[in-house]
Amino acid sequence: MTKGMRKYFKKKIFWFVITFIAAVILNFILPRLMPGDPVNSIVGKNISPGATQEQVQEQIIYYKHQFGLDKSIFGQFWDFVKNAFNGTFGVSYSQYPRLVSDIIGSSIWWTVALQLPAIIVGWLLGNLLGAVAAYKRGIWDKGLMPVSLFFSAIPAFGASVILLVVFAVTLGWAPVNGAYDPGMIPGFNLKFIGSVISHYQLPFWSIVLISIGGQAVGMRSMSIYELNADYVKYSRFLGIKDKKIVRYVFRNAMLPQVTGLAMSIGSMVGGALVAETIFSYPGLGMSMYAAINSSDYPVISACTLIITIMVLIASFLLDIIYAFIDPRVKAAQFD
Amino acid sequence: MKHTLKNVFHSPRFLVGFIIFMTILLTVLIYPYFVQRDPLQGLGKGFLSPGTYVSVYDTNNAGTYRVELPEANDNRLEASVPVKDRQTMLDYLTAMGADVSGLDTSNENFHALLEAWNANYDEADAKKNKYDGFATQAKRNELRRLNNRLTSDVTAAMSVTKGEGEAATVASVATSDYVKVSEVANSISLPLGTDNFGRDTLTELVKATGISLLVGLIAGSIATLLGLLVGLLAGYVGGIVDDILMFIANIFTVIPGFVLLILIYSALGAESRGITTCAVIIGITSWVWTARSVRSQVISLRNRDHVNLSKLSGHSLFRIVTTDILPYIMSYVVMAFILQVSSGILAEAQLSMLGLGPNPNELPTLGLMMNWAKLFGAYTSSNAWWAYFPVILVIALISFSLNLMNTGLDQVFNPTLRD
Amino acid sequence: MAKKMLEVNQLTTKYITRQGEDVYSVDHVSLDIEEGKSLGIAGESGCGKSTLALSLMGYYFAPLHYTSGTIKVDGKDITGLDPDVVRKTVLGTDVAYIPQAAMNALNPTRKVGKFIEDVIFAHELPMDKKQIREMAEQRFAKLGLPVDALDKHSVELSGGMRQRVVIAVSTILNPKVLIADEPSSALDVTSQKMVIKMMKDMMAEGMVKSMIFITHELPLLYNVTDDIMVMYAGQIVERGSAKEMVFDPIHPYSRGLMRSILVPEEGTRDVKLPARRPT
Repeated sequence: MTKGMRKYFKKKIFWFVITFIAAVILNFILPRLMPGDPVNSIVGKNISPGATQEQVQEQIIYYKHQFGLDKSIFGQFWDFVKNAFNGTFGVSYSQYPRLVSDIIGSSIWWTVALQLPAIIVGWLLGNLLGAVAAYKRGIWDKGLMPVSLFFSAIPAFGASVILLVVFAVTLGWAPVNGAYDPGMIPGFNLKFIGSVISHYQLPFWSIVLISIGGQAVGMRSMSIYELNADYVKYSRFLGIKDKKIVRYVFRNAMLPQVTGLAMSIGSMVGGALVAETIFSYPGLGMSMYAAINSSDYPVISACTLIITIMVLIASFLLDIIYAFIDPRVKAAQFD
Repeated sequence: MKHTLKNVFHSPRFLVGFIIFMTILLTVLIYPYFVQRDPLQGLGKGFLSPGTYVSVYDTNNAGTYRVELPEANDNRLEASVPVKDRQTMLDYLTAMGADVSGLDTSNENFHALLEAWNANYDEADAKKNKYDGFATQAKRNELRRLNNRLTSDVTAAMSVTKGEGEAATVASVATSDYVKVSEVANSISLPLGTDNFGRDTLTELVKATGISLLVGLIAGSIATLLGLLVGLLAGYVGGIVDDILMFIANIFTVIPGFVLLILIYSALGAESRGITTCAVIIGITSWVWTARSVRSQVISLRNRDHVNLSKLSGHSLFRIVTTDILPYIMSYVVMAFILQVSSGILAEAQLSMLGLGPNPNELPTLGLMMNWAKLFGAYTSSNAWWAYFPVILVIALISFSLNLMNTGLDQVFNPTLRD
Repeated sequence: MAKKMLEVNQLTTKYITRQGEDVYSVDHVSLDIEEGKSLGIAGESGCGKSTLALSLMGYYFAPLHYTSGTIKVDGKDITGLDPDVVRKTVLGTDVAYIPQAAMNALNPTRKVGKFIEDVIFAHELPMDKKQIREMAEQRFAKLGLPVDALDKHSVELSGGMRQRVVIAVSTILNPKVLIADEPSSALDVTSQKMVIKMMKDMMAEGMVKSMIFITHELPLLYNVTDDIMVMYAGQIVERGSAKEMVFDPIHPYSRGLMRSILVPEEGTRDVKLPARRPT
């Protein structure tokens, strides 16, 4: 490892740690700025109608103690960090005394299993489309470009709704909601896996659609830039076949798209979370949706924290991978 | 300046985008003068499909006319016994082994089908013998209901209820009687039907479009102004100011803005999320990209000759920034603004879909409409396309027109990208 | 009389602009070079000298279009051939090209050695990877280039080194005509000297049979090429030996051009260049 490389990684790791800390702090502080006391509403929900003022006070103190809200702000922060690191994320407000990890434990894996492959497939397809668009410019620019611009303007949730209505409700090709048939018990058998796969299709393809648009536009302009690069002309004049040159161009255009993915992964995940709620897919988006509707702040902030950390890790890894596979960055960053 | 504007409007992409956007904007502005209904007023119960609704009661007071409509009988038949039902009849007859030769679902042969049905359908028999395909209770009930409909008088007299619930026949209605819609005292045209609350979807949509545009505009202005300010400061002043600002910007680029919005919005609570608050928050969480781009452009401008000359001439910082730097980055700022408006509208819609929209009791927004459509099963159980599809279309058209304007401007301002 | 390596007769090519107008950048140009000789082409920027370089290759793509005239390389007419035939049998072997911005001429993500492989394979020569590698190593050694440059990406090489690598790659198939478009203009003086020396060596070693050297720096041509041609508005204005052209040009435009460069003081460029093309 050269000195430049080490410096590059140090810088990347430094930023990773800093943003990580900032994310944790923001996740802690923002829900605590909210007006209204969550404990009051829980007590209001749970207490019997005939309770005296004293009993109510007692309950409030009890719950405050349970949630650790009677401690100082630093004590609360320490609890928060501790809970985040041991993976429990504290106690849910709305489903007290369930642990937050209990509520969202399985949904993380549904989200990862849904979004990771979908975003990768969307990225690949988007790049392919952008490359083809850049290469076959004539008809594309005049005819197809406005059309594709219009389709890329359809918001993510809109595309999901249309897919849902067309393929699930009208045509009946796919199930309307959930991740598997409601009557089934999750297990490792063919029937269950089949059900999971058929429920997977629509959410998967709608997230693919979400990711395609932006990537295709980026890849198109990147490819056009590369197609005009000096090495294209030079390679042509040395007699290298166009097919080979096109391969050069697309490789060169695609490599920076790795960083493009690292930068846009955050916004893609946002759209994907909304898509989850449309298909009632039991991932983090759905957990968050349920938590929002029951004002369950520990669950909301656990969800946002997990999402932020996943996005952070994804973009950190992409940055590192990119630095290794693209010699241009290697040259620019490592010395 | 005039020349630039001329160039901009010569770009076909910009022009098309501009026309679409202005059409939407003008509709939003002019529509309330024609339809003065409160957009949140409930007109009916649940989803009404698009169409013109006339008061059945009031048709009694409208004159009746005889209209000779050749296909009237066919239409009537289709309305009362649709092809689907005829198919069910046919299926049932086939299943119980009756002779179905020569029978089909066409209008011409309907009477033969009806005769065959009357001859063969027996409720008790259907209950006793579970014919193939009609074995479940639900299926048998469906047959019973169909039979009731078929045997009741097709040309029923129209009646109104008088006084204490007595039914009194006021007029008999012949099959060739028609009323003129404009003569019916109470009628309402609902081109896009109503939503789950029974609100006129079109009026609501127009209002919501206006509000969403406003949200986009406020969010876009704040994001652009903040971004511009931060970018100018960081880029031009440099040094420690730059370091601090870029440190903050770096953090905000990695933490997804959407997650941040979810946190802030849920912390605010539904009651305190007014339209303006929502827009302002979207604005202050999305300035980062603008700030970064402005900063890098300002840095490249900072040491240009004309700026140095201005510095040597002793011009104030304000003057240097406004006369020597701003004009050079203005085209970028305008384009960034357009994109920010578009993403502000989208952000609001996405948040509303998660149940984090602006206070739903005040005003409709495009996102809230989508959320209501979802909550009340417009695209699953109710199949009310009019409650969500126009909303998606409007959002798509707004961002399409803004994107078009943006690429149009890009082509004008960055001619190298034209290829 | 020595063999003619390149004979160009009344070559005309045009650009078709976005607005659909025709711009004739090379207008009825005729020239020839004998084996072992080099020709310099001088002119102000925009005179069509770079376009002439592109036009001489017999391989045209938008926006440049062939109009009329012939190009013969070593007696073989290369105009009107199928583009794929030109690509396989002319480019790199008959005519080789060193582009103006040679710094960026190499694909940044392809190692130099791999790129040489691509060039050889594109011509379907009977060589395997090992032979190509050996051949490339020998050539690099002969030209005084570090052999390990073959395993590097262009971004890992310095500017001057990149330039020399491009020259070595361009001439790897021993072309009959080498067309160099400002091969040394963007370099510092030391690198410039190394490039010039390298090109002279290649001529001397017979790696290149003839050479066209295009530049706006006239003093350079005096040291490098046998003959010099002056170009103006797409046409050849004058041709002569390097010495004649530098010290005693006949045409008023050539004179203006030579004087404006040879006299270093500012404000001496007092020759009124005719607004129209001199006849």
